[in-house]
Amino acid sequence: MASGKPDGQTVMNKVLLLSPEKCIGCRTCEIVCSFSKIRAFNPRISRVSVFSFEEMAISVPMMCMQCEEPYCMKVCPTSAITRTEEGVVAFDEKKCIGCKLCISACPLGNISFSHVEGKIAKCDLCGGEPKCAEFCPSGAIEFKEPVPSAIERKKAIAEKFKELFGEGNE
Amino acid sequence: MFGWKGTILRVNLTEGSIKKESLDLKDAHMYIGGRGLGVKILTDEVDPGIEPLSPENKLIFMTGPLTGTMAASPGRYEVVAKAPLTGTIGGANSGGHFGPELKFAGYDGIIFEGRAEKPVYLWINDDHVELRSAEHLWGKNTFETTDQLLKETAEDARVACIGPAGEKLVLFATVMNDKHRAAGRSGMGAVMGSKNLKAVVVRGTKSVDVADPEAFYKACVDARRKLKEHPVTGTGLPMYGTEILINILNQVGALPTRNWRDGGYFEYAEEISGEALREKYLVRNKGCFGCSIGCGRVTRVPEGKYKSFGEGPEYEAGWALGASCGVRDLAAICKANFICNELGLDPITMGATIACTMEMYEKGIISKEEIGMEAPFGNADAIVELTRMTGLREGFGDKLAEGSYRLASSYGHPELSMSVKKQEMPAYDARGIQGMGLEYATSNRGGCHVRGYMTSPEILGIPVKLDPLVTKDKAKWLKTFQDLTAVVDSAGICLFTTFAIGLPEISAMLKAAIGLDYSDEEVMKIGERIWNLERMFNLGAGFTKADDTLPPRLLNEPLKTGAGKGKVVELDVMLKEYYEVRGWNEDGIPTDAKLEELGIR
Amino acid sequence: MKVKLFAYLRDYAGGREVEVSRCETVRQLLGELCGRFGERFEKELFDKENLSGRVIVLVNGRNILDLKGLDTELKEDDEVSLFPVVAGGR
Repeated sequence: MASGKPDGQTVMNKVLLLSPEKCIGCRTCEIVCSFSKIRAFNPRISRVSVFSFEEMAISVPMMCMQCEEPYCMKVCPTSAITRTEEGVVAFDEKKCIGCKLCISACPLGNISFSHVEGKIAKCDLCGGEPKCAEFCPSGAIEFKEPVPSAIERKKAIAEKFKELFGEGNE
Repeated sequence: MFGWKGTILRVNLTEGSIKKESLDLKDAHMYIGGRGLGVKILTDEVDPGIEPLSPENKLIFMTGPLTGTMAASPGRYEVVAKAPLTGTIGGANSGGHFGPELKFAGYDGIIFEGRAEKPVYLWINDDHVELRSAEHLWGKNTFETTDQLLKETAEDARVACIGPAGEKLVLFATVMNDKHRAAGRSGMGAVMGSKNLKAVVVRGTKSVDVADPEAFYKACVDARRKLKEHPVTGTGLPMYGTEILINILNQVGALPTRNWRDGGYFEYAEEISGEALREKYLVRNKGCFGCSIGCGRVTRVPEGKYKSFGEGPEYEAGWALGASCGVRDLAAICKANFICNELGLDPITMGATIACTMEMYEKGIISKEEIGMEAPFGNADAIVELTRMTGLREGFGDKLAEGSYRLASSYGHPELSMSVKKQEMPAYDARGIQGMGLEYATSNRGGCHVRGYMTSPEILGIPVKLDPLVTKDKAKWLKTFQDLTAVVDSAGICLFTTFAIGLPEISAMLKAAIGLDYSDEEVMKIGERIWNLERMFNLGAGFTKADDTLPPRLLNEPLKTGAGKGKVVELDVMLKEYYEVRGWNEDGIPTDAKLEELGIR
Repeated sequence: MKVKLFAYLRDYAGGREVEVSRCETVRQLLGELCGRFGERFEKELFDKENLSGRVIVLVNGRNILDLKGLDTELKEDDEVSLFPVVAGGR
């Protein structure tokens, strides 16, 4: 898990950890994400989206979970999507032909097309300092080192999302 | 365009026409947006003498330049019209997600004129704007209406609507958005109902730009850090919501009890406190758009005859339906509050009007037969049932629907209405908090706490501690609070930010967003301009110095217990000083010099 | 003497109310409570020697900042209330 850094420090790869039970549904993550991408405010191009389930009184922030085995990467015909050593599922704008297969392939629906930028929009962890986690007021989104329990938790939550949205689509 | 979107929708409901107009930039620079710009448009276009529920009144939804950005708590918009409850300039501010969505659709605001022949709603989907029939929605509550509208427009749209109370012209009906957030006071929902306008639905995919992104980002980071670090906005409000104030107001002896009759101490306060709410019914807290505070409460009463689910109650609602009615059953208070949200009622005026009824009942002025039930103070069933009846104007609810002043007057006892300019005062006994008395007497929309929240310095010691029992300096401080609040309500951010940030932080965000180099003094001047313009509207509507007063109970009946024992509100002293610091003549009329200085004349 | 606690200050005391032996001043009383409830409680109440901006101390409903601050004198039957600074709404 550890990766060597040029300065000799050994750092763990951090991941975005979600705690829906803490989410207050304020969408601060959406608004700061859009600003970091386009220097303007527009939740609809945000790489993170908050879904609120009123009857359950719960809100869930959703963004690319940087899958270990990304379907988006597998389906991309031009290899525009790769997984970096740091664990980021990265997207190369120059190679992208805009076929949008990745959007269909993502089982979590976490890739979209930004009508403002005219390109595929997915979370890139802001180059290692994700704004959503930095500004989340309640600790629902955290950027943390993946201690084993955290990875398990992340997987469990991803599974729950699948169930939730699976049901929602029926 | 930066901060603003530059376009205002003008919807004539009589003709069924929709026009897109350019924002008047000169007005925007002088009045910012939100409340200020709404008031400017209303005063320009509407004779203050009109009947509030007539087609001549206009209903204005207005966002501010910070709405929908990453400014501190940027989810606000204002609804402005001449108010049916008071006859003053009306206005109410609300959070949630509706205001930002209107900006994302490309509009700073909407002006509604005239009256539709049949119920309609406005559907805004970016550039596409149309009026649609709302006949199938008439009679539905705000939750049903919202759900139905999301089904027939877009599931990611946002809805502001009225409930049955607005349709039936209950004088204190609210405009509800995102189901639980209210543009609550002064009866904006009744104006909407009088226009046969059931709802506004909006979906937007555009961006809000700011003039200097880097400076704006820096200003927002600074403001947000201060909000996070402050004990009120960083800890108190997120943890307990506003209802936490019950105990502290009770301990200082300023929690008005049983229609303000029993002074400022409610013996069962603990049972209806924020602590109790958190322990018994809180599900989680909830934030409006982009808000780091998250004071909203999602609450559930899990069982019993008041079993229910919703949001709130806020402190003032909890007080109005609780201590003010002598009710100690928190479940009943929650339930009645949820009914207010569903039917579209202002819970402050609702609770205070029931309290007035209860006092008249106990005095034998109103009988059990007239009300349809026994209604002594403390009757928990009564607050729930009377609230429901009011929203539907059923039975005695038809009388309650007129608010406490008209109700008490119809029985020959206007002195039992705890209202100023016919709007009920909220949860702070001004005999124990002198500055609040001056705020009630002078607020431009009648009895109201949020346009000059003197409780902050007098009780909480923010930004400095003022002794609540003395009158010294209150006029000066109140002017500052009123003017700054007018700026906040116009900028599109939440008033609660001002516990942690002040003029410098707000100016910094505003300047970077719109790209105008205002000095802090000029920003305060805008607030003062708005306040004076509202005053001019009220004077035009026939209000005089004589209306800047308080119910006789506050002026003549001393508090019986607590720290303020023996106190009445020393209004005369403060009011005279207030007119002076405002630059108004001794009759409370802004002088020509003042109006010229502010650019109003 | 009786001291009432509110909001999260109750977590320190494990209840709504504590009984304290007679104290001459508010300073002495708060010192006594800090001794009892520990360092974190003390940090809520004090910034060094001074009362922190995070609490409100009432004696018989009067804020001690409107009296003599920490030097406010106490009588046997005085009621002291301790609040975190919290706020209100609409």
